[in-house]
Amino acid sequence: MSETPSADGAGAAPGSPVRRELADADRRARFESEVLPHLDRLYSAALRYTRDATDAEDLVQETVAKAYRSFHQYREGTNLKAWLYRILHTTYISMYRKAQRRPQESLQDEIDDFSFYDELSRTTGASPEHEVLNSFTADEVKEALAQLPDTFREAVYLADVEGFSYKEIAQIMDTPVGTVMSRLHRGRKSLQQALHSYARVRGLIDGPREG
Amino acid sequence: MTVEAGDRQQCSDECREALLRLGAFLDGELGTLTSSQLEEHLAECEPCTDRRAFEEGFRALVRQGCADEAPPALRARILAQLDELAAS
Repeated sequence: MSETPSADGAGAAPGSPVRRELADADRRARFESEVLPHLDRLYSAALRYTRDATDAEDLVQETVAKAYRSFHQYREGTNLKAWLYRILHTTYISMYRKAQRRPQESLQDEIDDFSFYDELSRTTGASPEHEVLNSFTADEVKEALAQLPDTFREAVYLADVEGFSYKEIAQIMDTPVGTVMSRLHRGRKSLQQALHSYARVRGLIDGPREG
Repeated sequence: MTVEAGDRQQCSDECREALLRLGAFLDGELGTLTSSQLEEHLAECEPCTDRRAFEEGFRALVRQGCADEAPPALRARILAQLDELAAS
Protein backbone atom coordinates (compact mmCIF):
# COMPACT_ATOMS: atom_id res chain seq x y z
CA MET A 1 0.00 0.00 0.00
CA SER A 2 1.30 3.38 -0.97
CA GLU A 3 2.22 5.82 1.83
CA THR A 4 1.22 8.91 -0.10
CA PRO A 5 -2.18 9.10 -1.75
CA SER A 6 -1.77 9.55 -5.50
CA ALA A 7 -3.85 11.79 -7.69
CA ASP A 8 -5.44 8.92 -9.63
CA GLY A 9 -7.04 7.56 -6.48
CA ALA A 10 -4.79 4.51 -6.04
CA GLY A 11 -3.86 3.58 -2.46
CA ALA A 12 -5.71 4.77 0.64
CA ALA A 13 -7.60 7.98 0.14
CA PRO A 14 -6.77 10.76 2.64
CA GLY A 15 -10.16 10.52 4.27
CA SER A 16 -10.35 6.76 4.61
CA PRO A 17 -10.87 5.45 8.16
CA VAL A 18 -7.59 3.54 8.29
CA ARG A 19 -5.60 6.55 7.22
CA ARG A 20 -7.43 8.81 9.62
CA GLU A 21 -6.74 6.56 12.54
CA LEU A 22 -3.06 6.47 11.69
CA ALA A 23 -3.01 10.22 11.23
CA ASP A 24 -4.75 10.76 14.58
CA ALA A 25 -2.30 8.53 16.43
CA ASP A 26 0.60 10.27 14.72
CA ARG A 27 -0.79 13.69 15.45
CA ARG A 28 -1.30 12.88 19.10
CA ALA A 29 2.27 11.57 19.44
CA ARG A 30 3.74 14.52 17.60
CA PHE A 31 1.70 16.99 19.65
CA GLU A 32 2.78 15.37 22.89
CA SER A 33 6.45 15.40 22.04
CA GLU A 34 6.50 18.91 20.57
CA VAL A 35 3.96 20.88 22.59
CA LEU A 36 3.96 19.36 26.06
CA PRO A 37 7.60 20.32 26.76
CA HIS A 38 6.29 23.92 26.70
CA LEU A 39 3.73 23.24 29.43
CA ASP A 40 5.70 24.72 32.35
CA ARG A 41 6.46 27.86 30.36
CA LEU A 42 2.84 28.24 29.26
CA TYR A 43 1.68 27.79 32.84
CA SER A 44 4.15 30.41 34.10
CA ALA A 45 2.89 32.84 31.48
CA ALA A 46 -0.74 32.05 32.29
CA LEU A 47 -0.07 32.67 35.98
CA ARG A 48 1.34 36.09 35.21
CA TYR A 49 -1.50 36.92 32.80
CA THR A 50 -4.36 35.86 35.07
CA ARG A 51 -2.66 36.35 38.46
CA ASP A 52 -4.61 33.41 39.79
CA ALA A 53 -3.57 29.74 39.99
CA THR A 54 -6.99 28.27 39.16
CA ASP A 55 -7.56 30.66 36.25
CA ALA A 56 -4.05 29.91 35.01
CA GLU A 57 -4.77 26.16 34.94
CA ASP A 58 -8.04 26.71 33.07
CA LEU A 59 -6.32 29.02 30.61
CA VAL A 60 -3.53 26.54 29.90
CA GLN A 61 -5.95 23.65 29.52
CA GLU A 62 -8.09 25.57 27.04
CA THR A 63 -5.00 26.78 25.19
CA VAL A 64 -3.66 23.25 24.80
CA ALA A 65 -7.07 22.01 23.60
CA LYS A 66 -7.24 24.76 20.99
CA ALA A 67 -3.67 24.09 19.92
CA TYR A 68 -4.48 20.40 19.48
CA ARG A 69 -7.55 21.08 17.39
CA SER A 70 -5.63 23.43 15.09
CA PHE A 71 -2.34 21.54 15.15
CA HIS A 72 -2.84 20.69 11.47
CA GLN A 73 -2.56 24.42 10.75
CA TYR A 74 0.82 24.64 12.37
CA ARG A 75 3.52 24.38 9.72
CA GLU A 76 6.42 22.24 10.83
CA GLY A 77 9.71 24.07 10.97
CA THR A 78 8.10 27.41 11.78
CA ASN A 79 8.12 28.98 15.23
CA LEU A 80 6.09 26.60 17.40
CA LYS A 81 6.63 28.62 20.57
CA ALA A 82 5.33 31.84 18.99
CA TRP A 83 2.37 29.89 17.58
CA LEU A 84 1.52 28.58 21.07
CA TYR A 85 1.82 32.01 22.69
CA ARG A 86 -0.44 33.45 20.01
CA ILE A 87 -3.09 30.88 20.98
CA LEU A 88 -2.49 31.58 24.67
CA HIS A 89 -3.02 35.29 23.98
CA THR A 90 -6.28 34.93 22.04
CA THR A 91 -7.59 32.38 24.56
CA TYR A 92 -6.75 34.69 27.44
CA ILE A 93 -8.59 37.56 25.79
CA SER A 94 -11.67 35.50 25.03
CA MET A 95 -11.79 33.91 28.49
CA TYR A 96 -10.89 36.81 30.74
CA ARG A 97 -10.33 40.20 29.26
CA LYS A 98 -13.68 40.31 27.54
CA ALA A 99 -15.44 39.73 30.84
CA GLN A 100 -13.56 42.51 32.56
CA ARG A 101 -14.44 45.21 30.04
CA ARG A 102 -11.67 47.45 31.18
CA PRO A 103 -11.17 50.95 29.86
CA GLN A 104 -8.16 51.60 27.61
CA GLU A 105 -5.10 50.84 29.65
CA SER A 106 -2.34 53.32 30.10
CA LEU A 107 0.48 54.31 32.39
CA GLN A 108 1.05 57.80 33.66
CA ASP A 109 3.25 59.99 31.48
CA GLU A 110 5.62 60.67 34.36
CA ILE A 111 6.77 57.08 34.12
CA ASP A 112 8.99 58.03 31.17
CA ASP A 113 11.19 60.08 33.47
CA PHE A 114 11.78 57.33 35.99
CA SER A 115 15.08 55.51 36.04
CA PHE A 116 15.75 52.97 38.77
CA TYR A 117 19.44 53.15 38.04
CA ASP A 118 19.58 56.92 38.40
CA GLU A 119 17.53 56.76 41.58
CA LEU A 120 19.96 54.26 43.05
CA SER A 121 23.02 56.26 42.03
CA ARG A 122 21.46 59.34 43.55
CA THR A 123 20.41 57.87 46.85
CA THR A 124 23.00 55.25 47.70
CA GLY A 125 26.28 56.40 46.24
CA ALA A 126 29.04 53.97 45.39
CA SER A 127 27.87 51.02 43.22
CA PRO A 128 25.60 48.82 45.38
CA GLU A 129 23.13 48.81 42.44
CA HIS A 130 23.64 45.12 41.79
CA GLU A 131 23.25 44.24 45.43
CA VAL A 132 19.87 45.92 45.42
CA LEU A 133 18.85 43.98 42.31
CA ASN A 134 20.03 40.70 43.82
CA SER A 135 18.06 41.30 46.98
CA PHE A 136 14.65 41.06 45.31
CA THR A 137 12.70 37.84 45.78
CA ALA A 138 10.73 36.08 43.06
CA ASP A 139 7.53 37.00 44.91
CA GLU A 140 8.40 40.69 44.76
CA VAL A 141 9.06 40.44 41.04
CA LYS A 142 5.70 38.73 40.54
CA GLU A 143 3.93 41.27 42.72
CA ALA A 144 5.47 44.15 40.74
CA LEU A 145 4.50 42.51 37.45
CA ALA A 146 0.96 41.97 38.71
CA GLN A 147 0.58 45.71 39.22
CA LEU A 148 1.19 46.46 35.54
CA PRO A 149 -1.78 46.96 33.23
CA ASP A 150 -2.50 43.76 31.25
CA THR A 151 -1.04 44.72 27.89
CA PHE A 152 2.14 46.13 29.42
CA ARG A 153 2.58 43.08 31.62
CA GLU A 154 2.19 40.73 28.68
CA ALA A 155 4.66 42.64 26.49
CA VAL A 156 7.30 42.74 29.23
CA TYR A 157 6.74 39.07 29.98
CA LEU A 158 7.08 38.00 26.35
CA ALA A 159 10.28 40.02 25.93
CA ASP A 160 12.08 39.56 29.22
CA VAL A 161 11.00 36.09 30.25
CA GLU A 162 10.45 34.38 26.90
CA GLY A 163 12.92 36.36 24.83
CA PHE A 164 10.59 36.97 21.90
CA SER A 165 11.60 39.63 19.36
CA TYR A 166 9.56 42.83 18.92
CA LYS A 167 8.17 41.42 15.68
CA GLU A 168 7.13 38.15 17.31
CA ILE A 169 5.46 40.01 20.18
CA ALA A 170 3.64 42.19 17.65
CA GLN A 171 2.31 39.04 15.97
CA ILE A 172 1.42 37.33 19.22
CA MET A 173 -0.45 40.37 20.56
CA ASP A 174 -1.74 41.44 17.13
CA THR A 175 -0.47 44.98 17.52
CA PRO A 176 1.99 47.24 15.64
CA VAL A 177 5.70 46.90 16.46
CA GLY A 178 5.77 50.54 17.58
CA THR A 179 3.12 49.81 20.18
CA VAL A 180 5.12 46.84 21.42
CA MET A 181 8.21 49.03 21.81
CA SER A 182 6.35 51.67 23.76
CA ARG A 183 4.64 49.10 26.00
CA LEU A 184 8.00 47.51 26.72
CA HIS A 185 9.67 50.80 27.46
CA ARG A 186 6.97 52.07 29.78
CA GLY A 187 6.16 48.67 31.25
CA ARG A 188 9.77 48.11 32.28
CA LYS A 189 9.99 51.59 33.76
CA SER A 190 6.84 51.02 35.75
CA LEU A 191 8.14 47.66 36.93
CA GLN A 192 11.37 49.30 38.05
CA GLN A 193 9.40 51.93 39.88
CA ALA A 194 7.41 49.31 41.77
CA LEU A 195 10.56 47.40 42.74
CA HIS A 196 12.21 50.64 43.72
CA SER A 197 9.38 51.36 46.13
CA TYR A 198 9.68 47.87 47.66
CA ALA A 199 13.39 48.45 48.18
CA ARG A 200 12.61 51.72 49.90
CA VAL A 201 10.02 50.17 52.17
CA ARG A 202 12.54 47.52 53.15
CA GLY A 203 14.99 50.26 53.96
CA LEU A 204 17.48 49.07 51.35
CA ILE A 205 17.67 52.52 49.86
CA ASP A 206 16.93 55.97 51.16
CA GLY A 207 13.75 57.81 50.37
CA PRO A 208 13.75 61.01 48.36
CA ARG A 209 15.68 63.76 50.07
CA GLU A 210 13.70 66.40 51.91
CA GLY A 211 13.92 70.03 50.94
CA MET B 1 43.12 59.00 36.31
CA THR B 2 41.59 62.36 35.50
CA VAL B 3 39.10 63.21 32.81
CA GLU B 4 39.34 66.57 31.04
CA ALA B 5 36.21 68.70 31.08
CA GLY B 6 36.06 68.53 27.29
CA ASP B 7 36.23 64.73 27.29
CA ARG B 8 33.52 64.52 29.89
CA GLN B 9 31.24 66.67 27.74
CA GLN B 10 31.85 64.52 24.70
CA CYS B 11 31.29 61.43 26.77
CA SER B 12 27.97 62.67 28.06
CA ASP B 13 26.67 63.36 24.52
CA GLU B 14 27.74 59.90 23.46
CA CYS B 15 26.30 58.49 26.65
CA ARG B 16 22.93 60.04 25.96
CA GLU B 17 22.96 58.47 22.51
CA ALA B 18 24.05 55.12 23.98
CA LEU B 19 21.33 55.21 26.63
CA LEU B 20 18.65 55.80 24.03
CA ARG B 21 19.74 52.66 22.21
CA LEU B 22 20.61 50.47 25.15
CA GLY B 23 17.15 48.94 25.47
CA ALA B 24 16.93 47.86 21.84
CA PHE B 25 20.55 46.70 22.01
CA LEU B 26 19.85 44.42 24.98
CA ASP B 27 16.71 43.16 23.24
CA GLY B 28 18.85 42.18 20.24
CA GLU B 29 16.94 44.60 18.04
CA LEU B 30 19.73 46.92 16.87
CA GLY B 31 21.31 46.51 13.45
CA THR B 32 24.89 45.18 13.33
CA LEU B 33 26.38 48.58 12.50
CA THR B 34 24.61 50.44 15.31
CA SER B 35 25.35 47.57 17.67
CA SER B 36 29.08 47.69 17.03
CA GLN B 37 29.09 51.48 17.45
CA LEU B 38 27.37 51.07 20.78
CA GLU B 39 29.75 48.31 21.82
CA GLU B 40 32.69 50.56 20.94
CA HIS B 41 31.30 53.20 23.24
CA LEU B 42 30.63 50.70 26.02
CA ALA B 43 34.18 49.43 25.78
CA GLU B 44 35.56 52.83 26.71
CA CYS B 45 32.85 54.18 29.00
CA GLU B 46 32.63 52.83 32.51
CA PRO B 47 29.37 54.52 33.59
CA CYS B 48 27.57 53.17 30.50
CA THR B 49 29.04 49.70 31.04
CA ASP B 50 27.76 49.84 34.59
CA ARG B 51 24.36 50.91 33.34
CA ARG B 52 24.32 48.10 30.83
CA ALA B 53 25.09 45.56 33.56
CA PHE B 54 22.27 46.96 35.65
CA GLU B 55 19.69 46.77 32.87
CA GLU B 56 20.85 43.25 32.02
CA GLY B 57 20.57 42.33 35.67
CA PHE B 58 17.06 43.73 35.74
CA ARG B 59 15.96 41.61 32.78
CA ALA B 60 17.53 38.55 34.39
CA LEU B 61 15.71 39.32 37.63
CA VAL B 62 12.34 39.35 35.86
CA ARG B 63 13.18 36.14 34.00
CA GLN B 64 14.29 34.27 37.11
CA GLY B 65 11.31 35.51 39.08
CA CYS B 66 8.88 33.88 36.68
CA ALA B 67 9.87 30.23 36.53
CA ASP B 68 6.89 28.20 37.72
CA GLU B 69 6.20 24.54 37.11
CA ALA B 70 2.86 23.28 35.90
CA PRO B 71 1.15 21.37 38.73
CA PRO B 72 1.19 17.57 38.17
CA ALA B 73 -2.62 17.53 38.35
CA LEU B 74 -2.81 19.97 35.42
CA ARG B 75 -0.43 17.84 33.39
CA ALA B 76 -2.57 14.77 34.11
CA ARG B 77 -5.76 16.61 33.18
CA ILE B 78 -4.24 17.74 29.92
CA LEU B 79 -3.10 14.24 29.00
CA ALA B 80 -6.60 12.91 29.71
CA GLN B 81 -8.03 15.72 27.63
CA LEU B 82 -5.74 14.80 24.74
CA ASP B 83 -6.98 11.20 24.96
CA GLU B 84 -10.53 12.45 24.63
CA LEU B 85 -9.74 14.82 21.78
CA ALA B 86 -7.79 12.16 19.92
CA ALA B 87 -10.63 9.67 20.30
CA SER B 88 -13.37 12.03 19.14
